[in-house]
Amino acid sequence: MSSLAYLKGKELENPVECHHHVAPVSLYVVILLALFGLTGLTYAVSFADLGPLSLPVAMAVATLKASLVVAFFMHLKDDDRYNLFIFLGTLIFIGIFFGFTLFDMQARDALNDEQRTFVRAEDERNAGNNPAIGISNDPARLAAWEAKHGSHDEEGHAEEEHSEGEKAEGEH
Amino acid sequence: MSDSTHAAHTDGEEHNPFVAHHFDNMGQQAGAAKLGMWLFLATELLMFSGLFLAYFICRMWYPDMVLGAHEYLSKTAGGINTCVLLFSSWTMAMAVRSAQIGKPGSKEDAAKIKKYLLLTLLCAGVFLVVKYFEYSAKFEHGMLPGKFYTAHLHGYEIEGLPHIFFGIYFIMTGLHGVHVLVGMAVMIWIYIRASRGEFSRDNYAGVENTGLYWHLVDLVWIFLFPLLYLVK
Repeated sequence: MSSLAYLKGKELENPVECHHHVAPVSLYVVILLALFGLTGLTYAVSFADLGPLSLPVAMAVATLKASLVVAFFMHLKDDDRYNLFIFLGTLIFIGIFFGFTLFDMQARDALNDEQRTFVRAEDERNAGNNPAIGISNDPARLAAWEAKHGSHDEEGHAEEEHSEGEKAEGEH
Repeated sequence: MSDSTHAAHTDGEEHNPFVAHHFDNMGQQAGAAKLGMWLFLATELLMFSGLFLAYFICRMWYPDMVLGAHEYLSKTAGGINTCVLLFSSWTMAMAVRSAQIGKPGSKEDAAKIKKYLLLTLLCAGVFLVVKYFEYSAKFEHGMLPGKFYTAHLHGYEIEGLPHIFFGIYFIMTGLHGVHVLVGMAVMIWIYIRASRGEFSRDNYAGVENTGLYWHLVDLVWIFLFPLLYLVK
């Protein structure tokens, strides 16, 4: 009975064998130089003001770098395709995780307003009981910090002003 | 699998002492080991993806928090660490390659594997030293997560909710740093095994799987660096 296992379109002599592929040193050196070049590119691009484009550009370069590492350093280009299947499968699940969560996060406020899902939270907010989400200004902790470092006013910084700013930040 | 393939394969090939009795040959054993490693790496990617998602949600909800706070991270330190990790990925790939072509029992070939492993370990050490200086600067300025945040008392005015940004920063780079430490421990173990002459073209799954893990650590940093240090 002949084997019916294939790797990259070629029939395998022995289907249980792991593919043994040795890449030339020159290839590894080229990949390393490409990775350095792309790092320099992201670094340079971060100083240019690209506005809303900066995140997609940085992610595109990072994805390209990651693909080089995965394909050549991690051998997925010439490896058993089953390992590639596991890797890409993981990426698909990460995509689902990201997609659904970010979608929910973006749509949640509008849905809550429309359907009045979290009525109690809204009542609390209307009563002025905002959840504390600013920088911790717990008096006991501030006193402990001052005991250790001396009064923070010496550093020429008005604490009251700052905590008000934080409050305003938390209320929007 | 059928008996005929088994017989056909083992014929005319001397027994490889590194093949465990429940595997037919080294190819099968190495393939199984690598499959297991890839499944582990899948769980690692899923674990880190949760932290990346936390970053993206914070970025979406509080853009000025990320923009204001990331200016306080050292681009130079992050850039040096990126280059160090990329170079260490190359030395690791070379260690795996040296094992793939190493002749069994050859002292010189084992020395080559060891040389590249040492270089990788050295890079990991440099990475952690740079990280140490970055972390101590943050500690000194009170740029710490959540309720430990005291940078405003040190006179730093950062827009938005910097204590949340530094929470994300420390958890992401901290978990990554723990992975670097674990990678160093595994490399020391592989180095000792290479000194015993265990690795050659007949048996290199251990080196290769260490390499896969190390490249994943590099992979995570490739995304961490632009997101935390660079992006506006």
